[in-house]
Amino acid sequence: MIRFLSLLFFVVSNSIFSILEIEILKGSDNLSKVAFVPFGIESGIEENYGNQISKNIEKNMLLFGEFENLAVNEMLSYPSSENDFYYRDWKVLGVDYSVIGKVNSVNSLGNLNISYSLFNINRRIKILEGEIVGSEDNIEGISKIISNRIYEEITGLRGIFDTKLAYVINSDADTYQMCISDIDGKNEEILFTSKAPIMSPDWSPDRKKIAYVSFENGLAEIFIQDLKSGKRDSIQALGMTNSAPVWSPDGKSLALVVSFSGNPDIFSYSIKNKRLIRLTNHYGIDTEPSWSPDSKKIIFTSDRSGSPQLYEINTKSKRKKRLTRDGNYNARGRYFPDGKSIFFVHGNDGNFQIATKKLSSRYIETLTSTSLDESPTISPNGNIIIYATKDGSNGYLGGITLDGKSRFSLPVKNGSVREPSWSPLLN
Amino acid sequence: MNKALTSLNTFFLILLFFSLIFSMFSVPNLNINETQSIKVNFYELIQQDDILFDSSTSKTLIEKETKKTSSTNKKTNTDETSIISKFKINKLDIKNEITKIKLSKEREDILRVSAIIQERISSIWIKPNSLSESLIAKVLIDLAPSGEILNFSLIEPSSNTSFNESILTAMNKMTFFEEVLSLERKLFEQNFRNFNLVFKSSGEIE
Repeated sequence: MIRFLSLLFFVVSNSIFSILEIEILKGSDNLSKVAFVPFGIESGIEENYGNQISKNIEKNMLLFGEFENLAVNEMLSYPSSENDFYYRDWKVLGVDYSVIGKVNSVNSLGNLNISYSLFNINRRIKILEGEIVGSEDNIEGISKIISNRIYEEITGLRGIFDTKLAYVINSDADTYQMCISDIDGKNEEILFTSKAPIMSPDWSPDRKKIAYVSFENGLAEIFIQDLKSGKRDSIQALGMTNSAPVWSPDGKSLALVVSFSGNPDIFSYSIKNKRLIRLTNHYGIDTEPSWSPDSKKIIFTSDRSGSPQLYEINTKSKRKKRLTRDGNYNARGRYFPDGKSIFFVHGNDGNFQIATKKLSSRYIETLTSTSLDESPTISPNGNIIIYATKDGSNGYLGGITLDGKSRFSLPVKNGSVREPSWSPLLN
Repeated sequence: MNKALTSLNTFFLILLFFSLIFSMFSVPNLNINETQSIKVNFYELIQQDDILFDSSTSKTLIEKETKKTSSTNKKTNTDETSIISKFKINKLDIKNEITKIKLSKEREDILRVSAIIQERISSIWIKPNSLSESLIAKVLIDLAPSGEILNFSLIEPSSNTSFNESILTAMNKMTFFEEVLSLERKLFEQNFRNFNLVFKSSGEIE
């Protein structure tokens, strides 16, 4: 459809006063090529630091397949300051952006001062220049900050290299681990291990706590765990089972599913005064709630129409609206960070794929090509979706950029990885 | 006897050969100039129309013309004037038709070159993810007859900086639209000397 549309253009001509207009709708499938030049070093500083920083930035920027890189041995020069930088050296190699920098020492305590610049080769301009001071022990952290700034300058979207991922690992038949790690899979931490299933992790907006469901006491129970102290608190929501907790973006409430006498409905739980407010009351199954970015609406899955479909409820007026009508399986809906679109699991002939839908449009669009996809989670900048999928019996995490240019899978863990949840940004 | 038969055979063979050669040369030449063929076609069409629908106006015109003339050879004169008058009436139509044909050919050329330009820009424009925003930005291009881009400016930027930047980056990658060399100079001056590229993002997930 888009290809067809892209071929459409209109010609307003044959008149003295009008000017020919050619419409460009379709962009290239190519990726921007970025050269990450090894950073220079001031004399007296460990030689390896320069290489390490540029390599880290390169690894971050390539993590989601959004850019192409230029191999170091193909570079014609290795400038570390603007004076040594010649655009033609990069233009001939088809480079779109070049990152250069230098590591300088600041003081005897081992702090480093790192300067960096980003050049747009086609426009022949320097588009970013910065300096950062940090400890020798935190080269990785410094690289992430520089990567974020470069990413933001090139894409116009927030950098996400310092975000984290929460997920559940099912290493053998009766071992479940609630884990968090950096988005690149490094620094994995096991928060809780249980012999009973663990499900539905969700980050608090301040990234200090995680809510999840654990069956350790025989019933589905919601726990909130503090990441610093490791302290776990159970929410006693009075129902038979409590599940699918999701933090509201303002951090004041949790949306959750409470099942009284076996009928699950959506509730809002106020964290401060521990009050439970019923939002839906239907004999059908209402589950998988998620908040809109403005914390005013909740999207949820319900089989009230006979098949699982997505609905939206205004938490104040309690007015409901059906959001999906395509096919007989649309579940686990989530809003995009801008609140204008949703993504969800769309079932079609036994295939379960991640789909998106603009709320103002009638049509849905499937994003993934694998067939057993579940639990999609979106990057806080709204550009990447990570989802759990299966290769035989082994679960792993796959990802896709929303322009469809890049599909990737995250490093394999020991065991089946399920239920990913992307952390919010640190403000 | 045998000798006579052989010579007869040879004669027929030669005859066959020549008839073949003759038939080859008698095939009408189809390489008629495009403009000529158009003119001929329309003239023919109009004459046919006149024969079929001999209008009363042309008749009165013919009568008027005959009254004015006082020569002895009345009949020939009437015939001549009738042809002239017919031709006068239809000349404008022919002109119009030819102009129409020319315009549609020009339009075709403009569309062809526009499509190539569109394709070339699309192949280098790395469109940023604009989430659900619908964006439009307009770039004015000044082109030399050689196809060289003399200047371009973002005359109507969108509200999204990275969208604008991506357009400027793409435009900086282009130096020539040599496709315009295939156009007539007049057509180039009218349409491609200055033209707009309208970059759009529908906000849909692609």
